[in-house]
Amino acid sequence: MRERGIGRWIVAIPMCLLALATIYPMLFTLNVAMKSRREYVLNRFSLADHLTAANIADAWNTTGLGRYTFNSVLVTAGSVALLLLLGSMAGYAFSQLTFRGRKWLFLVCLGALMIPFQVIMVPFFRVLGQIHLLDTYLGLILAYTGQFLPFTIFLMTSFYSRIPAEIVEAARVDGSTTLGVYRRIMLPLGRPALLSVGILNALFCWNDVLISLLVMQSEQHRTLMVGVTALRGQYSDNIPLFAGGVLVAALPVIAIYLFFQRQITDGVTAGSTKG
Amino acid sequence: MPIPAARRTTATRRWRWNEHKLAALVLVTPALLIIVGLRIVPLVLGAQYSLTGDGDRNGLFVGLANYRTLAADPVFRTAIKNVGLLFLALPIAVAVPGLLATFLFLKVPGHRFYRSVYFFPVVLSPVIIGAIFNILLSFDGPLNQLLGKAGIPPVDWLGNSHIAILSVIGVHIWATFGMALVIFMAGFSTLDQSLLDAARCDGATLPQTVLHVVIPELSRTIQFVFVTTMIGMLTGMFGLVYVMTAGGPGGATYLPEFYIWVTQGQLNSPALASAASMVLFVLMLVVGFAQIRLIKRATKEV
Repeated sequence: MRERGIGRWIVAIPMCLLALATIYPMLFTLNVAMKSRREYVLNRFSLADHLTAANIADAWNTTGLGRYTFNSVLVTAGSVALLLLLGSMAGYAFSQLTFRGRKWLFLVCLGALMIPFQVIMVPFFRVLGQIHLLDTYLGLILAYTGQFLPFTIFLMTSFYSRIPAEIVEAARVDGSTTLGVYRRIMLPLGRPALLSVGILNALFCWNDVLISLLVMQSEQHRTLMVGVTALRGQYSDNIPLFAGGVLVAALPVIAIYLFFQRQITDGVTAGSTKG
Repeated sequence: MPIPAARRTTATRRWRWNEHKLAALVLVTPALLIIVGLRIVPLVLGAQYSLTGDGDRNGLFVGLANYRTLAADPVFRTAIKNVGLLFLALPIAVAVPGLLATFLFLKVPGHRFYRSVYFFPVVLSPVIIGAIFNILLSFDGPLNQLLGKAGIPPVDWLGNSHIAILSVIGVHIWATFGMALVIFMAGFSTLDQSLLDAARCDGATLPQTVLHVVIPELSRTIQFVFVTTMIGMLTGMFGLVYVMTAGGPGGATYLPEFYIWVTQGQLNSPALASAASMVLFVLMLVVGFAQIRLIKRATKEV
């Protein structure tokens, strides 16, 4: 159905304004990050005199953002690797294998989707302390894996259930074992799903602040998002430098969005259309 | 010699069944251990903690004392009142993306571009969003300067206890409506085109089509968006509150999740925090009732 004539243009106006309202705050911040402190104090809206990355470089060099970025990359990469491995294994079993209790176990995994981290925060903190994983990379990786695994299993299961049983049968006739089918068929055929789910999980881990605040206690283990919140206190009188720090933290996400937009929106809608 | 042959087949089948069973065990166990150990066991422990005391009564059973403390705590009451505000904001947070998705479905010029732009804030961390709006909404910040030029006195967006929570909720809706939008659009893509053609043949106007064809056909999607948006509000605003107001001014922007974090960390009252967690969980379950039904439907296909 395609609306024609003047109606199309009448709706185009509010859509355009809203698009502007969505994108302008970010462009504003970009512009501020390019300004000197003096320029910002004199005029909030003027375009930066000359394009400079001085604030971004300053924020990077003077505030420990480099260290925080390293922490975030390490923890995100570790969590995504673990999530994809465990998620695809369980997803294969739930979608293609028959074994006793399959339905119930799957229900347990899905039920965990409805337990938000806020609700288990206190005992989680204690349990992690008891096994001496507080303030460690492994502790945070496990925390993220626990947090996002139910969602990952859900998506991987629904993806793998679309792989025709005939392909699996054929491999079995050729003498492949159940685990061989996982390695030779599920992993290669699942690559688009793994990419999509991996990017989503990477965004979740990268963007998180609550779990990281709870698990990482020492300054040297801070992740990037926690580092940015700390900048706010330190540089409340130097907004351009603060904006520079914000940009550093946002740039990887912006890049991922520009490259993998399709995969991201496909991933988030896969959970909804299935319902 | 029929008997040995039959025996051999059974033996082979049993071996295969075992290999299969073993493989399933190997594939599922690690994930289940993590989910049970890091989500379900803590949930049970949390329910238990919520019935014990803090400080010198640590570990002692105190019954519902923590819940009574919560009910009397003005800060927690503000947090619950703010949840009420979230419910009031919910129709806006659903209707705006619903309307926009309808426009995009009708393929207004540049619909692909709009979709990309609207969705963009969804992928940014609440910390980044909060930081950006911290700059924009500060008292001497750009928005107030703009208002000043229009002759409107400045508004203390984040410092006025009546306005701050509205600012935070507004920013949350601004940042997340793209999510509901793409879910709506996925719903539209499953819409039966022939129904729309039939409506057009019958001479239905656009509002009539939306009211009598689109909304009934998309009722599941709409229900799903309502639930996910509300759960997103209940569990996804910590970063915004933390960065934009830190719960202030005077505790006016507390939400249950922020209360839990402060009570556990700063106030060192894990038992009280656990009780607040349970309240949040019950709230979630009430909201998620619809989601349980969706999950049931999903498990039927396995």
